[in-house]
Amino acid sequence: MVGSLAAACAAFVWVAITLNRQGGGAGPKKSVNDLNKAYTDIAEEDATHLFNKEFREELRNRGRLRFEKIIEENAMFLKQDLDQTTAQLNEYMKQQVSAKLDTEFAAYAKAMQEAQELALASLQRTAQDVESQRVALAEALKKDVAEREGALLKVYEQNMAKIVEHYVLQALGDQFDLKSQMPYIIAQMEANKQNIAEDMRL
Amino acid sequence: MSEHAAPAYALPPALITRADLARLVREIEGLDNELEAQKARNHATGQTGYHMPNLSQGMADFIELNKLNLADDQGRMHVKEQMKIMKNKAPIVHMTFAVEADPISLQQLVAYMRKELHPQTLLSVGLQPAIVGGVYMRTPNQVHDFSVRAKLAASRGIIEQEIENLSGVIQVVEAPQTPMAAAPQTAEAARPA
Repeated sequence: MVGSLAAACAAFVWVAITLNRQGGGAGPKKSVNDLNKAYTDIAEEDATHLFNKEFREELRNRGRLRFEKIIEENAMFLKQDLDQTTAQLNEYMKQQVSAKLDTEFAAYAKAMQEAQELALASLQRTAQDVESQRVALAEALKKDVAEREGALLKVYEQNMAKIVEHYVLQALGDQFDLKSQMPYIIAQMEANKQNIAEDMRL
Repeated sequence: MSEHAAPAYALPPALITRADLARLVREIEGLDNELEAQKARNHATGQTGYHMPNLSQGMADFIELNKLNLADDQGRMHVKEQMKIMKNKAPIVHMTFAVEADPISLQQLVAYMRKELHPQTLLSVGLQPAIVGGVYMRTPNQVHDFSVRAKLAASRGIIEQEIENLSGVIQVVEAPQTPMAAAPQTAEAARPA
């Protein structure tokens, strides 16, 4: 683009010099207006010749290329900056996340360790309590069983006679008739004869 | 008692209860009425002697046992009065048996009692199967329990003594250890390192 502007300035200077030569040579001196008009016409004509369609196309192409080049360069720089920034950001994020995770993992591990120790201590205490309770319960049961055994034996001994008596009563029932009981009855009365006789004589 | 002592009339073994004696008294009164009627008729007709009506077996046994002459008016009157006194004064012994008392056994019992205890003893018989055997006897002022139940109750000490003697012979076996004793070691081994 700078080249195109330089070429246009050079063409304008060349036209001015050419006109100056023609005006200072042969022929009568023309008025200023005529001259200005003539210069204007010539400039227009030369401009028409200079800035024709091909030239403008060329300029457009050059401008496009230049613009594309600048865009590409800026894009490249931008891409480089972006890549660099992205890499730095990634590294930063990686470091931050790693540090955070390390911190969290350490805290988690510490908490887990403490929880495990607490659970272990609790289990030990529970086991000790259960063991002590088991021992106490076993002692109590043993004592209770011994007491119950003694009480049962005592009751058994005390009631055995009644049980046997009940059995005999149920077993004998009315198996004896009075005739078979007479010797026993008379023997009992004979044994208490004195007492009975005295009572009946009163 | 001495003033109204029962006369020495013996009662036949078949006469056991007071009802039997009352029946005998009524029969004597009936006999006396009959003989008095015959006496009146004899006086009217001029006849002598009595025609004895039919007597029950108990009355016949009573007359034979005591050698009585009921044709004698005064003797009959005396017997009647004495029998009434005897009905009221004779000692009654209540005897409760475990089984139904048969007449022969009752006669045997009353014969023994009249021979050994009192000659006019009367019986009142009851039934109580719970006494199992023997007799529960109630005299006018005392109670004598000669039942098998009482005998067994009195002998309870023998069984208790035998059990007491056996209690040292029976070995008491120690209960086996429960598997709970190994539980804490197992829990210790299961804990994480």
